[in-house]
Amino acid sequence: MNTHPLSRRDVHIWLALVVLMLAACNSAGERAAPTAGPRRIALVMKSLANEFFVTMADGAKAHQAANASTYTLIVNGIRNESDLAQQVALVEQMMAQTVDAIVIAPADSRALVPVLAKARRQGIIVVNIDNKLDAATLKDAGIAIPFVGPDNRAGAHTVAAALAKQLKRGDKVVILEGIPTAFNAQQRRLGFEEAMKEAGIDVVAVQSAHWEQDEANTITAAMLREHPEVKAILASNDNMALGAASAIRQANKTGQVTVVGFDNIAAIQQLIKDGRVFATADQHGDRLAVFGIEYALKLLRGETQPQDLQTPVDLITASK
Amino acid sequence: MIGRTAEYAGLVAVLALLVVLFGALSDHFLTSITFTTLANQIPALTVIAVGMTLVLIAGGIDLSVGSVMALGSAVLARALVEAHLPLPVAMALCLFTGLAAGAVNGFISVRWTIPSFIVTLGMLEVARGGAYLVTQSRSVFVGAAMGPLGMPLASIGLSPAFLVALLVVASGQILLSMTVLGRHIFAVGGNAEAARLSGINPGRVLLSVFAISGLLAGLGGIFHIAYLESADPNSGIGLELSAIAAVVIGGTSLMGGRGSVISSFLGVLIIAVLQSGLAQIGATEPAKRIVTGAVIVSAVILDAYRRRVVSNAVVSIQS
Repeated sequence: MNTHPLSRRDVHIWLALVVLMLAACNSAGERAAPTAGPRRIALVMKSLANEFFVTMADGAKAHQAANASTYTLIVNGIRNESDLAQQVALVEQMMAQTVDAIVIAPADSRALVPVLAKARRQGIIVVNIDNKLDAATLKDAGIAIPFVGPDNRAGAHTVAAALAKQLKRGDKVVILEGIPTAFNAQQRRLGFEEAMKEAGIDVVAVQSAHWEQDEANTITAAMLREHPEVKAILASNDNMALGAASAIRQANKTGQVTVVGFDNIAAIQQLIKDGRVFATADQHGDRLAVFGIEYALKLLRGETQPQDLQTPVDLITASK
Repeated sequence: MIGRTAEYAGLVAVLALLVVLFGALSDHFLTSITFTTLANQIPALTVIAVGMTLVLIAGGIDLSVGSVMALGSAVLARALVEAHLPLPVAMALCLFTGLAAGAVNGFISVRWTIPSFIVTLGMLEVARGGAYLVTQSRSVFVGAAMGPLGMPLASIGLSPAFLVALLVVASGQILLSMTVLGRHIFAVGGNAEAARLSGINPGRVLLSVFAISGLLAGLGGIFHIAYLESADPNSGIGLELSAIAAVVIGGTSLMGGRGSVISSFLGVLIIAVLQSGLAQIGATEPAKRIVTGAVIVSAVILDAYRRRVVSNAVVSIQS
């Protein structure tokens, strides 16, 4: 009803936006032409609200800053880890910008394959980090994408084996799983289970806490009641280990029930020092994206043939 | 006042049913530890549900509570761990953060008559972004710096946080049923235009309930850290939905004008028993989700049915 004096300014703002967007398109078009300058690499991550991926992205940015003449970097993440559609859209955007290489931590090991196949056909180098793409799906799509990353199963096995030395045959433990459909989560669970089986330790329950602290706390509290004889909680990431440790403290069982985690995040350090968390695994999150980027640069220079490359996972305990 | 006891009876019956059911399914459920642990897990959800009850009765909705809680706890954690502020100061900062976020929600929605659904949806995003900024998207370990607030007292097994939450429930119910503001909240939620004509300032009432809801989300942030010993910037995602579910199970109308804080608390207990019990019996992931959804809807159906029986009874007594 009342005409806003703002409306004219609004029009100006819109006009300015349109001009800016046109300019942006233009410059993107210019950059699309092949140049001899630095290579353009797109890093497509999972959720940048997640500590682990922030560490990864920060490591990549620092690496780029030190190698500014070699390559430029575009970092993008999705809103939450399960937002597949957004990640597919991001890959398409990167294709439209005709980057030289895409280094991707896929939110799903199958759903991203078709769009990545399209990128490959467009001549873009694709390197898979963090979450390994499904081999069978890749084969169906008729492409090979090298995976550069840690062996989560072996890492989890190492952590669990170290824990097993603290326990004795016949002891009971609980496993907290990540999001059950995620390849990482499955691998870590398998690694835990194998090590426990080898040591003759009884896994009385496996429940998913979806990588979350809160849910891990609720489940651990319930498990401590249901299986009062449990000696340890094996959490598939440190966030869940934090939740488990606080549930153990609440139940007044600190010292009787121990915890192991995975990832070696900053918040877990104090708990490891205090002995409330026995061990975790460091997969060098800050280097994970960098390994992928370095490998992509090698491929771009034609120095290597695409093949999987394993990166180190280290056991962290109070004594180290 | 006839329906007051009957009002709670339906919810208590649902609660008792769940307890008996889980007791039958697990040998270790019916123990005092189960119930003290459960009580110590819910202070944050409880106080947030109290705020949500007031907002819903006044005819609004607050979708931002989970994010505001995360922002408050992020501020608290940083204030303690990095700025080394004394605990009371850090707590005050956390409460103030919540209060400010709630006041902004209320102010914007009143000043420009924008539905609170969209304003608080905006705040959900803004506060979550704020929590990421404050924590640099990293979990912050706080540890013993939070003191004994979230730890069970040796004598009764309940934490001080839970006792404070009970106090908040009682205060919320007193505010609703015994104060002028309480009457105005019902009036505005029932019919804002009629309330205005009778001399109530609906804007001021709405501003108050959103500010209270924000403040209680901040308090939830304190409880959250006291319990978990660390601030996770991703905490409380979807908490608004648990709070709304608890409040609606408690019979508060999504349309405004009707509700009770104590019933909301019973709703919180139902949700907590369900979560805890399903974890304890080791229910599978699909089962957890299907059962939770089904129980929420069944509780509301049961409540609607009971409400009809009670109001019929009242009518027949009067006639």
